[in-house]
This record gives sequence, C-alpha cells and structure tokens, in this order.
Amino acid sequence: MKHLKSLNKKAQRLDAAEGKPEAIEEVVAMQTVVGCTATTDPGWEIDAFGGAASLCQPMEADLYGCADSCWWPAQVPDTMSHYPDWGDGKADATRDWRKLDGIFEDKI
Amino acid sequence: MEKERNITSMIAAGLLALAAVVGAPERALAADGAALLAANCLSCHSAQGGSISRVEGQRKTPEGWQMTITRMQEQHGAKVSAEDKRRLIKYLADTRGLAPAETAGWRYLLEHDNNRVETIDGRYRDMCARCHSGARFALQRRSEDEWKLLMHTHIGLNPTLEFHSLARDRQWFPLAVNEVAPALARDFALDARAWKAWQAAPRTALDGSWRIAGFLPGKGAFEGRMRASAAGEDRYELAIEGRYADGALLSGRGVATVYTGYEWRGSVDIDGVALRQVMAADARGERMHGRQHFADSRRMGGALSALREGAAPMVMAVMPAQLRRGETAELTVVGSGLAGAVSLGKGVRVLEVVSRSPDRVVVRARAEGRDGLNDVAVGSARGKGLLAVYGRVARVEVEPANAIARVGGPGDAQMQKVGVAYRAIGWAAGRDGKAGTADDLRLGYLPARWSIEAADEEAEKAHDADFVGHIGADGVFVPGDAGPNPARPKSLGNTGRVNVVATVEAAGATVEGRGKLDVAVPDFVQRALD
Repeated sequence: MKHLKSLNKKAQRLDAAEGKPEAIEEVVAMQTVVGCTATTDPGWEIDAFGGAASLCQPMEADLYGCADSCWWPAQVPDTMSHYPDWGDGKADATRDWRKLDGIFEDKI
Repeated sequence: MEKERNITSMIAAGLLALAAVVGAPERALAADGAALLAANCLSCHSAQGGSISRVEGQRKTPEGWQMTITRMQEQHGAKVSAEDKRRLIKYLADTRGLAPAETAGWRYLLEHDNNRVETIDGRYRDMCARCHSGARFALQRRSEDEWKLLMHTHIGLNPTLEFHSLARDRQWFPLAVNEVAPALARDFALDARAWKAWQAAPRTALDGSWRIAGFLPGKGAFEGRMRASAAGEDRYELAIEGRYADGALLSGRGVATVYTGYEWRGSVDIDGVALRQVMAADARGERMHGRQHFADSRRMGGALSALREGAAPMVMAVMPAQLRRGETAELTVVGSGLAGAVSLGKGVRVLEVVSRSPDRVVVRARAEGRDGLNDVAVGSARGKGLLAVYGRVARVEVEPANAIARVGGPGDAQMQKVGVAYRAIGWAAGRDGKAGTADDLRLGYLPARWSIEAADEEAEKAHDADFVGHIGADGVFVPGDAGPNPARPKSLGNTGRVNVVATVEAAGATVEGRGKLDVAVPDFVQRALD
C-alpha cells in the first residue's frame, strides 16, 4: 500500500482505517434506511460513508452501464435477467429520463 | 394429459388431507385452495406424496407468497389469472403462513413503514440486507434446503452480485450456502412451535363494530368507527365514519381480507382518497394495530388502531394526549358507551364537561399534579396511561428520525415524488431532571414548526437544502423534481442530505428536534415487500 496513493475520498478513508477493523467495518457496511442500498460500491441512494459524494451522479449519466449488469437489483430493473426491455426507447437516460418507469408489483 | 390428471387428483387428495388439520371455517377454502394450487403449479412443480415440491419447504406472509407467484409469472411464464392469484395467496398464507409471534419486530415492512434503520445480525446484513431489507427474509420461514435454494436463485438471477463490495472480497457463494443458509434455517426455521400453536388455535371472525384511531398525513389525527360485515371467505365489507382532531368529518367504504387468521389487509376510500390498511389482530380478535397508507404512495401514512366494541364501555384515547401543568385546555376523551363522571387522574381537575355523547366527551381541564402518565376514566371505563401531565418539554424527537425521500416528476415524468410525513414527539426530562435518559416521559405528538437545513459541511457546500424540496406546515416533506439539474455543479440532480428540524414552542420555551433525511433518486423496483 505504501507505493499506492489513494485518489478518491473513499480510498483515503479506507487508507485511514487500515489496521482498525472497526473503522473498516464502518466504511464498508454502513447501515441504511430500509430498502436502500449503500454497500454495492457505490450504493444507489447513499454511499458507504453515509454520504452522497461517492455515488454515480447524476445517475442518468451512466444508468445502463450499471443497470445492465444488475448493480442495484432491488432498486433498478436489471436488463440482464429480469427486465430486458426496460431501457427500450430510452437509450440516452440523460435526455429520456422522464420516460423511465418503475416496476410496481400489483396489490393483493 | 391422463398422467397430469392423475397427479392433479393425487395432490389434491393429499392436500385435502392437510386441509383437514386447519380450522373448521377455513376447511372449505383449503379444499378449493389445494385444488387451485395443483391446477396452477403442477405443470412445473412435482408432486411428492401429498405435497408440492418447493412449496412445502416454505412459509410466508401474504405479500411473500404474492412475490413468489409474481416471480413465477415474470420469470417462468406461469399463467395465473388475477382471481386465481388472489385465492392462491389466501390459501398459501392460511396454510403456510407466519404466526403472529413470528412477524413481531418485522411488521414495519408489511406496513411499508420503511423510514427506519434496521437492526440486523451482521452476517445477514452483509449477505442479504445490503441490497434489500432485512425484514424481507426475516418474514420467511424455510427448511435448510430451501434457504440454500434461495441462494442459488439469487446467484442465478443476479450473477454479477459476486462483483459487489462484500462479495468480491470473499468467497460469496460457499459462504452463502455453507454458513448463512444453515444459520437462517436455525433462526428462521420452517418447523416452529409458534406456528403449530397458531394453526391449532381457534379463529375469531373479525366482523362487528370497531372503534378506530389513527393519523393521516396532511389531515392529522382522527378517530371513528369502522363497521365490518362478513362477506364470506374471510372478507369483510367496511363502512367508516369519523372525525379529525380539527373537527372535520370523515366518511368512507371499503373491503378487507384477513389472511392467516390475523393479517388484516383493507382497501378503503375515505372521502375520495384511496387508502390501504395493514393491521394485525390479537389472538382474541379484540384489538388490531398497524398502519394506514395512501394507495398511490405507500410511504405516506400513519398509525391505525382498532378496538372491538362490545357491551362494556371503553376509553380508547385522549386528544390531545398531553396537558401542561398550569394550563387550562380542552380535551376530548374518545371511547365507546361513555357514561358517568370523567376522571383525568391525579392532579388534573375537570373544570367543565363541554359536550358529551357515548362516543366522546369534551372537557375543559387544568393540570396541577406531578409529571406522569395519568389513567383516564369515564364512569366504569378506564384507559391506562393515556394522558401525559408535564411541566416542561425537555426534548423533541422527530419521527421518522431517519428517512428517505425520492425525487420524482415533474409533469409527465413516469416516476412520482416520494415524500415523508413528519411528526414531532415531546419528552419531559423525568425524575432525574435530565433530558435523554431512560426515565424521560413521552408526552406524545406535539404541534411544531418545520424547516430543513444542510445535514453537514458537504451538503452545505453543495447547497442541498436549496434544491432537495420543501417541508410544509403540516410536516409533509415534498421532494424536488427528478432529472439532472443544470443549475447544480455537474448537473447533479435535486438529491442531497438535510436535517428536518421540528421547533416546538411551549410555555415561552423553544425546543428543537432533528431528523436525518436523504433525498435520493427514484426506486424503480417496488416489490410487495422491499
């Protein structure tokens, strides 16, 4: 590690936490509000530090780069297994974001 | 075809035998359900004696079974009509459900009351609850083989999960199958005494007249009466009348279905607004408690309680639920069959009965006693600890303390905004005179002024509070519009982190409370249980 320099905030905090297991735990396993994800690096709603600085922002800029590969399967329809057609007709999410619809399970 | 019919009749016969062990009122339903299960599922699942593969190794809530059938439809092309699906969910939840004790502690997910941080065992948090809620699996019971198969399903459907943090840095799959699945089978076991006891317990029909009380965002606290008429197959037709704390009347109708003997799911229309009720009935069928939320925004809702009306009078609530020492105020005692003298407990003088009916008694009262939770009585009816008497609000808690709102809209954008309904809870310091200690006295909900502020230095620098949305005088936070915002650096959306501040004024003193709010991007996948 001594020959590598951390470039982003998360790496710096991981460096700082090195050797302190509790601190590393705090960095990577931040608990979030129910139904949110933080630990998939980056999270969808919140990053591993409980903030937003390490998220993909704006999310529209690289949505399919992540959604295609099921990065947040509980928050974003993945086009790999579950919803292959989700992004159809909305190729550029930065322009077409209004058309992005959700998957809503019907009520009982 | 002949073979299929034979298997179908065999499985139906086996499940009919199983149906014989369920309660008498459910027997006919179970017979239909078993046949329905056979007819809908045996084209893929295999029959083993009197059971169906996979189905026998699991128990779930109604919503859990709903998700399973939905997955069969979406992933495996199962053709199930809406009516069959509804009946299958009912049958499966009745015969392979969770006992009340097994859902205790996890009901917030059934109620969609998700603005909270869960407490989950570390190994489950890092394996499962890093993507979805912990309650989602804690509300299931499976055999060890079934927990293992669930791991296989996850890796099969989401193969890249092994690249995520907390997966790529360890042997995810062996860990999931060899360590976590056996632990889940112990902690959330298929065979449980609680379930056997609940299956054997007599069922109580929930028809009749219920006194209800609750809170609806934007409207406030309310109380009323809900009449439930049995419509067969554990379904009820509902008629609701009541009033909000500000005196406005409410009226509505709806239907409810009871699953597993106690899981109340209502769908009602109150003054043109569609609402859903999620409650659990107690074993004697005398009380129900849960939450009511807007049908089109399940995060927005509030508590809902119901007490069955009987021959005996009862006191259910006092509105408002607190009285400051030295203050003279009007209080409404709510109940059923209320007759006789009103007592608000030691140190509280009832100065005047302003109005009264069997349902509610309005009094003017003055508190002079010590801090504490007073019993309230009208004639022979008594409600325990319903009125908080206090001298000073020592601290204010914001509810929810941790919340997520989601940007949405505007206009024709598909995803709607997801707001948060806030309330302020007052606390007195208790006997030790120190706020924030174990003996603090909960005073209940208090009126507050609402505002937002940046959560920290980073949020301050990004001016998050100027973009994320606004909070109204009623405590309802409405998030900003979705989409990239060119007015922000790098076209960041209207997301950010703020504190929600409740300011309570009482007796010339100002007390503030704060809650953390993350205004996030939309949640594009909204399952029956997140």
